[in-house]
Order: sequence, then C-alpha cells, then structure tokens
Amino acid sequence: MMGKTIVITSGKGGVGKTTTTANIGAALAMRDHRVVVIDTDIGLRNLDVIMGLENRIVYDLVNVIEGKCRIRQAMIQDKHGLELYLIPAAQTRDKDSIEPAQLRELCAGLEQEYDYILIDCPAGIERGFRNATAAAQEAIIVTTPEVASVRDADRVVGLLEASDLHRPRLIINRISADMVRRGDMMSQRDVESLLAIEVLGLVPADERTISAANRGVPVVHDARSSAGAAFLRIAARIDGEEVPIQEISPRPGVFNKLRDMMGMKGRAYSHA
Amino acid sequence: MVVSESPSIAVGRSSGASGASSRRPVNIAGRGSDITFIVDENAPMEDVIRELARQLSGRQGALFSEGGVGINTGRRSLTAEEKYVIRRVFEENSGLKVSRFISTIGDYVVESDEYPDDPPLRYPWRFLQRRGTGRGLALDRNLNDLIGGSRRNRTQAMLIRSTFRSGESLHHYGDVVVLGDVNPGSEIKADGDIVVMGKLKGLAHAGASGDNGAAIIALDIASPRIRIGNCESAIQAAGKSQKRRKRGRGAETGQPSIAYTRKGAVYVSPFAGRFARYTKGVLYDG
Repeated sequence: MMGKTIVITSGKGGVGKTTTTANIGAALAMRDHRVVVIDTDIGLRNLDVIMGLENRIVYDLVNVIEGKCRIRQAMIQDKHGLELYLIPAAQTRDKDSIEPAQLRELCAGLEQEYDYILIDCPAGIERGFRNATAAAQEAIIVTTPEVASVRDADRVVGLLEASDLHRPRLIINRISADMVRRGDMMSQRDVESLLAIEVLGLVPADERTISAANRGVPVVHDARSSAGAAFLRIAARIDGEEVPIQEISPRPGVFNKLRDMMGMKGRAYSHA
Repeated sequence: MVVSESPSIAVGRSSGASGASSRRPVNIAGRGSDITFIVDENAPMEDVIRELARQLSGRQGALFSEGGVGINTGRRSLTAEEKYVIRRVFEENSGLKVSRFISTIGDYVVESDEYPDDPPLRYPWRFLQRRGTGRGLALDRNLNDLIGGSRRNRTQAMLIRSTFRSGESLHHYGDVVVLGDVNPGSEIKADGDIVVMGKLKGLAHAGASGDNGAAIIALDIASPRIRIGNCESAIQAAGKSQKRRKRGRGAETGQPSIAYTRKGAVYVSPFAGRFARYTKGVLYDG
C-alpha cells in the first residue's frame, strides 16, 4: 500500500502544531504503522526537542535536499523503538533553502516505503507554508478555541481549498471545559460552525502535555493523560476507524470531587 | 433583485490549476488564438503590472488574438481600478484587447466580461420593479431589451456556493449571493445588494458604487461594521449579551436581518420582506 502524506498546519503560531505532529506520529507508530515526521520549520526547529531527539541530529532536511547525505542518514529513529522516524529541520538555514517541488519529490519517495509521512508546517502563510503544503495529499488544521487562532485557521482553510488540498480536517486543541462552561472560551460548536470543516478530534487542555513535551516524550506515552488519549483516538480516525467525537466536559460526580479534595491527580476532564 | 445564473457568468468546477504554483508573476497559456494570461494570485500587484508590461512589449506583434485575451487571476479578485490599469497596460504595450477576467471563488471558476467602457445605466431594474412590471424571468427579459449586451451584467447576481473565508475578497458589479457564512476578515463589495444565506461576520459593502438604495440581507448580521453606498455604520443590535462579547464576537441580530440606509444612516431590522415597513416607520423600497 502506498503511504500518505499529511501536513499539519494552523496559520497562527503556538497553537500546538508541533506537539500534535509528534503525538499523532507516535500514536500512528503505536498502531504498527511505519511513520516519518518531517520538521519543515527551517531555522526554528522544535519537533526534535519535543520528541527528545535533539542530541542525535547529524544531518537535516536541507542536507538531504541538497544531496549532502542520503535520506536514511537524516532519519532519526524514535527513542521508544517505534517505527517512527524524524527528519529534522536545519537550524542554521532559512525557509528559502528548499522549494515546494523538492519536498514533494522527497515525500513521494518516502511514500513508497512508509505508511504515513507527517509534515510539521511552520506558522504563517508564506514560503514555509507553501513548501509544507505542496507535498501533502491531506491537511490537518490545528486551532485553539481562541478568536485569533480560529480566524487564522479560517484563512488557511481558504488557502488550502484554493490549492489541491480540498477537505482539510480540524483538530481543536487545548479546550478547557471549565472555561467553556463559564462562557469564557469558544466551545467546540462555536469553532466548528465558523470554520465549517470536518472535525478530526478535540484535545483537552492538559498540563501533562506540557510536562511531557519538556521531557521530550510525547504525551501519548502517558496512559493517564486525557490529551494523550485524545491523540490516540485521532490517530485511530486517521487510520480510518470510526471513533465518535466526544465532547469535552468537566467530570461530574462525588467521586471526582472527593479525589480533587484529596489532591489526587487524575484526569482533568472526562471525555472517554 | 434579479438572481440568476447568467450565460455570461460561466460557473464551473475549479481545476485548482489557477496559476498559484507558478513562480513568475505572469504566465501565458494559449490554444490557437485563445490566449490567457495567468497571474500569480500571491504576487504583489506592482510586480504583476511590471511583468505584464515587460512581456507584452517584449513580444510585440508575436501575440495575436482576435477575440481578445483573458486574464486569469486565480483566487485574487481584482478591483475596478486594477482591471482598468491592466487594460491600459495591454492598450499601451500591444494591440491586444482584454475581453474577460477569470477568477476562482470558493470551489468555482468565475468568468466575467469586462467592465463596459462607458458608465453603466444606474440600476434600471429598480425602476422597473417599482412600477410592478413583474419579477424573475419576465423582469430579466425586459432588462435584456432595455440595456442588452455587457451592461446587463451589472444587474446580475454572482452566486458564491461556499463559505467566504478570512482573507478572501470580492468586488462584483452586480448583486452578490453567498450560500454560506461570510467569515471575519473577509471582504465583499457589491455595486448591488448583498444577500448572505448564513451569518455575515466579515466586511460587507453594498451599493459600492455609491448607491445608498442598496441593502444587505443576511440570516444573521454579526458584522462589526457594514457599509451601504456612502454610509458606514457600527452595528448596535439590541440584546447583545455579555457572554457573547466575552467570547469576542460582535453584535449579533440572531435572526434574518436587513441593513438599509435612511437619511445617511444605516439601520438594521429583522427582515420581513422586501417592501415591509421597517423601524421608525420607514418603508424600505430599495
């Protein structure tokens, strides 16, 4: 079976593209797929840090494209032994060092051998965005339930629809059920109705995501994390499984309150 | 209002190959004498003009097209001024005449005739409608008889079959109908009316050529600012809830609404039909 190249993009920075890429990549690999993640944020690379692979970088994406090394030499295997490989971005170059066609060619080669190629797109809609989206057959848009982020996502949907990426799917990241209930945050329905595209998944705000990223271990490896569970379900949906979308709501019940009082750290929100 | 898909607005599925991937700001595509200039939708307009002038003067005499050439602008929709400048560039640098502009809106490729050279008749259909000479097709036929040719286009609606998204902008010389939401950060200008079968949250300017008799009708007017003709208004809809403001949304009417002008001010009222009596005892008659 031929592999599939998926770009993960958002328009706005800081909404969790890189974290999402790392987690979906790991989750797909845990489902026994062969996965390559490519960081195209040349000059501002981060994916290696989040995956905890920064010390192992020898060659990078620009080296591969310039023919200074073979693809295999630039691919760093995940430290958990999964069939997950990272092609890091160059830190000392800029977005103009590669061209959309070159990345497309690279991905077409990888598709022969791997099941999923995930492209971590840089923020913005300029050269880096065009590079990253040119190679993909599918797009995932990450947004947080904030007005600025949703507006940028809307712009990106328009740009993707203008290119050949017709049906982008949406991940709403960092939903805080408490804030939604208080009316301080856009709900998933608000975001959905504005963007009018298919929702691939809802990811709750979870402190464990941040601590996991700081440790260089994607949060899907943390069985107790609600965000990790959400990413596993997203990976299942990408895989073609029918997993219903569950709303993120504060966990009710006496037991939960009791647990909170006792200071136990459980799941912040129930949505399983 | 005349809402119809006219023969001169050809609507077809977009192939996606609207010149976006080309690196030069202007490329020429042609079959026989049918020549189309493909303009990079992202290139700055000055670069496009400069490149057009350069290519045209470099190939003087080499290009020939009896029926005029087309300009494909991809997702960019040109303003009247930009179209004018492009036409002048062709006039000055070659013997070619621009006959049509082609652009992509949503999933659709829209081809429109050029603006007529002389000032168009000012909304003759409004005149016809007031006299009760009929609506729909009958009115259309009268119009054809009355103005004919390319002038007819001014009164015809452009149909947008998708959500109009942030960053998209459109200036149409007739009415505009959007079958979806108009999202924040987008911009629709129409010389006629604007009808939105969804929520209007972007910038809308009806009667953009200075017609204060135009109207904006939407299932929900939630735009922070709308313009009609020469009038501009910040919408102050009643019942704006605290909660909604907290979520960063503007005023919403929450129901089908019409915006129209009266004595230089913009009013927004629940839509109750075209000839209904609206607030302050005003009969909106377009």
